[in-house]
Amino acid sequence: MTCDATRLAVSLRADGELGDGPAAERLDDHLAGCPDCRRFEAGIGRIRNALRFEPVGEAPDVASPVIWRLSRRNGDVRDARSPWWAAAAVAVVAGLVAGATFVGVAREPRSPAAADIPALVVAAQPTVDSLDARIRVTESTRAAPRDGRLAYRAPEALALTVGADRLVVDGDRWWQDAARACSPAPGRVRCPADGPRWLRSVTGREPFSDAAPLPLDLVVPVDSFALAAGSAGLGERTVAGRAAIGVTVTAAQVAPFLGGLADAAGLRPVHPADPVEVWLDADHLVPLAVTARAGDDPGRAAWARAAGVADAPGQVIVDVAVTSIRVNEPVGDDAFAPPAGPVDESTTAGFQPGDGAPAPEPATLPAGHRPHRAGTVTAAGGPAVGLRSWTDGRAWVTVRATAGWAGGRLFGEVGPDVRPVDLGPAGRGYASADGRRVALHGDGLDVVVTGSLPAADLRAVAAGLGVVGRPVPPGWAEAATATLPDAVQALPGLLVPGGGLAGFGTAAVRIDGDTVSQTYAGPGDRGLTLVQRAAAHLPPPSDGDEVGVAVRGTAGRYSYGRGQLDWMEGGVARSLRSPTLALGELLAVAEGLEPA
Amino acid sequence: MTPEREPRVEELDPALIRAAAAGDLAAFERIVRAYQQHVWRFLRRLVGDPAAAEDVAQETFLRVYRALPGFAHQARFSTWVFQIARNAGLDELRRRRRRDRLAASVRPPGTVGPVGEARAEIEAALAALPVDLREALVLVEVFGLPYAEVAAVVGVPVGTAKSRVFRAREQLRAWARPDEGAVGDV
Repeated sequence: MTCDATRLAVSLRADGELGDGPAAERLDDHLAGCPDCRRFEAGIGRIRNALRFEPVGEAPDVASPVIWRLSRRNGDVRDARSPWWAAAAVAVVAGLVAGATFVGVAREPRSPAAADIPALVVAAQPTVDSLDARIRVTESTRAAPRDGRLAYRAPEALALTVGADRLVVDGDRWWQDAARACSPAPGRVRCPADGPRWLRSVTGREPFSDAAPLPLDLVVPVDSFALAAGSAGLGERTVAGRAAIGVTVTAAQVAPFLGGLADAAGLRPVHPADPVEVWLDADHLVPLAVTARAGDDPGRAAWARAAGVADAPGQVIVDVAVTSIRVNEPVGDDAFAPPAGPVDESTTAGFQPGDGAPAPEPATLPAGHRPHRAGTVTAAGGPAVGLRSWTDGRAWVTVRATAGWAGGRLFGEVGPDVRPVDLGPAGRGYASADGRRVALHGDGLDVVVTGSLPAADLRAVAAGLGVVGRPVPPGWAEAATATLPDAVQALPGLLVPGGGLAGFGTAAVRIDGDTVSQTYAGPGDRGLTLVQRAAAHLPPPSDGDEVGVAVRGTAGRYSYGRGQLDWMEGGVARSLRSPTLALGELLAVAEGLEPA
Repeated sequence: MTPEREPRVEELDPALIRAAAAGDLAAFERIVRAYQQHVWRFLRRLVGDPAAAEDVAQETFLRVYRALPGFAHQARFSTWVFQIARNAGLDELRRRRRRDRLAASVRPPGTVGPVGEARAEIEAALAALPVDLREALVLVEVFGLPYAEVAAVVGVPVGTAKSRVFRAREQLRAWARPDEGAVGDV
C-alpha cells in the first residue's frame, strides 16, 4: 500500500466511510511502519478539534430580522434584493445557457446602423453634459411597475430614483436610500428596529471611483459597448418622442447598465446569457428602452431554480423605459438633493482632498483636460495612496500612486491577466485585459492610470508620468505575463483566434510552465480564456456535470458548472472558459481558431 | 486518536415544513431558529467574515422561504438548506470580488485577520484553501455530514466530495503537523 493510498484511506476512516475488512487491515499494517502517515492521521484530529472549537452563543440572531422582513412584505418576497451579478454567480455554479442562438460572436449585423453602434457610443460620451429623464421600471417579479427619475450632470453628479429607492452621487459624497435588512459594512451592524428603509451617507468618495456607485452606463453605455462587435440590429423606432436605434445583446454585455440599476433599485436576477434589447437615442446614444427576456435553455432552468425565479422562455423579465427626456439642458440642483430623513449609517470611503502626492502629473493630457479633484486615500492596513484626476467636463482620467506598495502583484487591481505594453522611454507598462487600466512598477513608486479615455490615450498618459516602469519581480503574479510570439515559441501548435476575435480586446497572454493562456476581455462582463497545454490526454473531468460535444471535428466535453469547453488536438489539451458566454458562442470561437 | 464524527444537524418535522411552505410565519420562524446557527457557521467559513456571514444568512432564509413551496420532500431538508446557503455564499464572494476591486488595490496582498491564537491560525489556514475544498471540509468536520450529503449540497458526485475532503486535509498538513509546536505558518 502506498503512502498516498494510505492517507486517502486514513481520511476515509476518519469520516467513518472506509468500513472494516481487508482494506482497514492493510491500512493499519502500513501505519505501523510509517511515521509520516501516522502524523497525517494525527493532523486530521487536530484540524477537527480546531474547527469544532467555537464559543457557545457566538452565532447571531438571524430569525428576528428575517421574520420581521417577511411579515412586512405580506409574504411577497419575490423582490428580495439580489444584485444582478449575484445572479451571474449563481449561473457559474448552476450552469450556463448552451446553444443560445440570438447572439453570436462576430455575427454579421443586420443593419449598418447596428454595426456602427459601438463606435457611435464611444464617440457620444463627450456629447452628453446633462440629462434629466423620467423612467419606468417593470419586473416580472413585482406586481406593479415603478416610476422614477434619472438626472445627470457631468462630470460627477447623478441621481437615480426608482419607486422608494434613491441613489445620489455628487462629487465626493453619495447617499443611498433603500430597503435593507441590514447594513452591509463596515463591522457588524444590527438591523434597524423600526421601518424598512435604510439611509446611507458616504463621504470621502474617490474621484470617478468605480467602487462607489456612479452608474454612468445609465447615461451613455460606454462600458457596455466599447469593445463590442456589431450586434444584431433591430432597426429604428420612436421612444419617448425621440428616434432610437435598437440592438440585441446579452445581459452580460450590458452588465454595467443592469448592475448599476440593480445597485440603486434592487432589480430581480437576470441570467448573463439572457437576450436584451437595447434602444439607444439616435443622436446621443442614451439608453431609451432596455428589455431583458428569459432565455430558453435547460441550463437556464437550473440557474432559475437556484436564483429563486420562475420564467417562461421569451417572457419579459425586466423592462426599463424612458417616458420623457431632456438632454444637455440645465438640471436644477434640487434633482441632486440628498434623500430626506435621518441617516442610519454614515461612513467615509477614505479619500481626503490634498495635493495628490506622490501621484505624478503627466506631461501631456488629452485636449481640454483640466485638474479635477486630488488627494489621498488610506485604507485600513494599506499604504497611503496619492490620487490626481483630470476631466474635460465629461471624459476623465486618474493617476494613483503609492510609495509603500508591499508587492506580490501589481498595484492598482489590474487583474491577473495583463498585457505588457512598451511605453518607450517610460519602460514597461502593464495594461489590464480590457485596456482600461495601465500599471507601472517603478523604482520606489507604483502607479496606475485609469479613465474613460480610449486605451491608446491612457497609455500616452502613463508614458508621460516621468516614471520608468520595470518588469515585475519574478515572484509577482504577473511575472508569467508574455507576448504571443513568446507563447508560440513555448508551445508549438498553439491556436489563436483567426483574424482576432471580433467583440473582444487584445489577448492578455500568460506562460505558466508548459501552459499557455490567452484571456480576452469583452464589453461589460463578457470575456473568455483559452488555455493550452501539451498533454497526452485531457485531464480527468473535475465536476461530473460534463456533457459530450463535438469541437472542431473531434469529441470534446463541456462543463455547465465551470462554463468550460475541453478538447484534444495535435497532442495539446485545449480549453475555452467563460462565465458569461453560452456554449454556442464558445463553439463558434473554437471553430474560428487557427494555428498561430 | 481522531475524535468521533457524529452528525450534528437534526431533521425537522415534515409537518412544520409544510406549514411554513403554506405561509405560516410562526412555523417558518421555528425552522430558521433550528438552522440559523448551522447556516451562519457554515457561511462564516465560506465567506470568511462574521458580519458578511450574518447578512448572507439572512439572505439564505429569505431564499429558503421563497423556494419552500417547491421543496421536494424526498430530499433531506437540511441538505436543501445548505445548498441554498452555499449558493448565497458564493454569490456574496463574487459580489465582493467585484465591489472590492478598488478597495483591494490599496491593501497589501496576503494579509489575514488577527493572528496569534490557535483559532485565528486555523481560520487563516482554512481561508487560504480553494473554496471547493473549504466547503467540503467544513461540511464534514463542522456539521458531520456524510459524503453523500456533502456531494448533494455542493452538487458533485460522491467520489469528488471524497477527494475534495482528502485534498483539503492534504493542504492543511503544514498547519496540522504536531511536531512543529505552534504552527501558524501556512
